[in-house]
Amino acid sequence: MTNLPTRKTEDWRWADLSGLDALAATPANDAAPDVSDLWLDLGGPRLVFVDGAFVEAASDRRGLTVTAVRSAPGHPLGDRAAREATTGLWLTHTATATAVGPVQIVHVATGGVSQLSSRIELAPNAHAEVIETHVGKGWSNVTCTVALAEGARLMRTIRVLKEGGAHTDFTLATVAGAASYTSAALVTGADSSRVEARIILQGNGAFAEADGVVLARGDQVHDAFTLVEHAHAGGTSRQVWRSVADDRSTASVAGRVAVARDAQKTDAEQSVKALLLARTATANAKPELEIFADDVKCAHGASVGELNRDALFYLQSRGVDPAGAKALLTRAFLGDALDRIGDEVVREAVTADAVAWLEAAR
Amino acid sequence: MLEITDLHATVDGKAILNGLTLRVGAGQVHAIMGPNGAGKSTLSYVLGGRAGSEVTGGSVTLEGRDLLALAAHERAAAGLFLGLQYPVEIPGVSNLTFLRTALNAQRKQRGEAEASGAEFMKLIKIEAEALGLSMDMLKRPVNVGFSGGEKKRNEMVQMAVLRPRVAVLDETDSGLDIDALRVVADGINRMRAPDRATLLITHYQRLLDYVVPDFVHVLVAGRIVRSGGPELAQTLEREGYVDIAA
Repeated sequence: MTNLPTRKTEDWRWADLSGLDALAATPANDAAPDVSDLWLDLGGPRLVFVDGAFVEAASDRRGLTVTAVRSAPGHPLGDRAAREATTGLWLTHTATATAVGPVQIVHVATGGVSQLSSRIELAPNAHAEVIETHVGKGWSNVTCTVALAEGARLMRTIRVLKEGGAHTDFTLATVAGAASYTSAALVTGADSSRVEARIILQGNGAFAEADGVVLARGDQVHDAFTLVEHAHAGGTSRQVWRSVADDRSTASVAGRVAVARDAQKTDAEQSVKALLLARTATANAKPELEIFADDVKCAHGASVGELNRDALFYLQSRGVDPAGAKALLTRAFLGDALDRIGDEVVREAVTADAVAWLEAAR
Repeated sequence: MLEITDLHATVDGKAILNGLTLRVGAGQVHAIMGPNGAGKSTLSYVLGGRAGSEVTGGSVTLEGRDLLALAAHERAAAGLFLGLQYPVEIPGVSNLTFLRTALNAQRKQRGEAEASGAEFMKLIKIEAEALGLSMDMLKRPVNVGFSGGEKKRNEMVQMAVLRPRVAVLDETDSGLDIDALRVVADGINRMRAPDRATLLITHYQRLLDYVVPDFVHVLVAGRIVRSGGPELAQTLEREGYVDIAA
C-alpha cells in the first residue's frame, strides 16, 4: 500500500495504522447484515452502504445523489478514498430546496477495505443534518469534503460502532462567513481508529464546533485529531472531547487551533479530557494553539485523570454496586461532550451508544 | 439492631479501634462522643465498608447479619445508612439521578420492584419539601455549589428517601449554623421510629440539644470508656474529655 503516514510524523504519532494492509486483504462476508436497529427516528432519507457499495433496495434515497466524489481532500487516507471509492453521498442543498430532513447513512463493512467518498455542499443560508453510522469489521476508510456558503448550517454526527477492524475518517470542511459547522463523533468500536477533521473558517462570524467521545477498551487504539484553522477575522470555534481508556487500550485526542495573522477577534476554546479506568491503559490529551494574530481569545484545557474514589464510595454507600458507580461517574464525565449535541434524538441515541459501552463492562 | 462486639481496626497498620463494644436497639438513638483522634471517623468508615481501614478483630451485625462480610453497597441494601461528615460533590450527576439510582439499586438487591419515575418523584418531593431542599437544587449536580448546611440537608433527604434500618451519622452537625443544625436535627427526629436505630457520632454536644439521645457513650482511644444517659453529654461539654480519658 502506498504512503501511509508513520508514527514518526508528529500528527500521526498516536495512530495505529499497522494493521490496515492486513485488514484490506481479509475477505468480505456477503451475509446480509441487519441494520434496522441503527436508524434513528428522524424521518429523513436513509442510505445503506455495504462494503463501499450503495444498496438501493435497503435505502430510502428520496432523490439524493449517490455517486463517488473524486475531489481529493489533500490527506493520505482521504485522498485514497477519493481515488478508489466507488460511491458516496453527494449532498447539495440550496436554501430554497425542499427540506429532505436529516440524512442518515449506515455503512456496513463485512471485511476487506470499504471506502466511501462524500461531499456536502450547502448554498447560502441552507441547512442540513447528516448522521453517519459505521458498523462491521474490516477496514473502513471514508472521507467527506464539506463546503458551507455564507450563513449555511451543517450538523454532522459520526458514530463508529464497529465490532472490530479499523476505521479511518477524514473530513475537510470550509466554512464561509456566518456559516456554522457542528460535528460530534463517537468512537466505541473498531480495534483501531483515526478520526480526523480539518476545518477552515473563511469568513467573519464563521463558527465551528468539533466535539467527540472516544471509548477504548481491550487492546484498542483510538486516535482523534482535529485542526481548526481560523483563516479570517471574527471566527469562533469550540472543541470538547472526552475520552475513556480501560484495560490495555489507548485513547488519544489532539486538537489544534491555528489562528492566521489576519484572523483578529478569533474566539477559540478547547477542552480535552481523558479518564483512565485502568492503570494499564493509556490516554493522550493534547490541545495545541498556533496563534499569529494579536487580538484573539483562545482558551484550552486538558487533563488525564481517574475516577474520584470518594465519589465512588459515596455511591456505593448508598447502595450502588461498584460497576454501577463506575458507569454512572463515567457517564457524567462524558456528559460535557454528549450534552452539546443539538439534536435531541441524536443526543439520546449517541448517549445510549455510550451507555451501552459502559454497561457492556458490567 | 446494630451489635458491635470487641471491634478492633487499624489504619495504615496503626491500631485505631481497640475493642469497641456497643449495642444499639430498635427505636433507640445513641450518641458516640469523643475527642479528636478517638476513632470516631474510623468507626463510621468501618461500619460503612470504606477501603482504608482494616478490621483485625471483633464483629458487627445488623439485624443478625454479619455486616463486615458485606460490600459497601450490600450494607446499604441491608439497611445501613452512612451520613458523611463531608458529603462528596459529583459534577454531572443530578441529585435526582443519584438518589433514584441508589434507591433502585437497593430495591433490586432486596428483590423488590424498582420505583417508577412518578413514584420516585412523589417520594422525593415529600421529603425534600419537609427538609427545605427545593426541586431546583435537586436537579443540580450532587452537592455541587451547595453550602455546608445544604449538603447536610441533602444527606437528610437521602436518608429519608432510602429509609434505612440503622443510620450512622458521622459529624452530621459539623460546620452548621444554628438554623441548619435545627433542620438537620428535625431530619433525624423525623426518622425516629420503633423499627429504626440511629447512631450519632459527634464531637460536640450541641446537636444533642435538638436530638435527645437515649444513650451517650464516650469513645477514647478506640474504646468506649463510659456510657450514660443524655446528661452525660452535658457533663462532657462542661468538663471536657480530659478527666474521662485519664
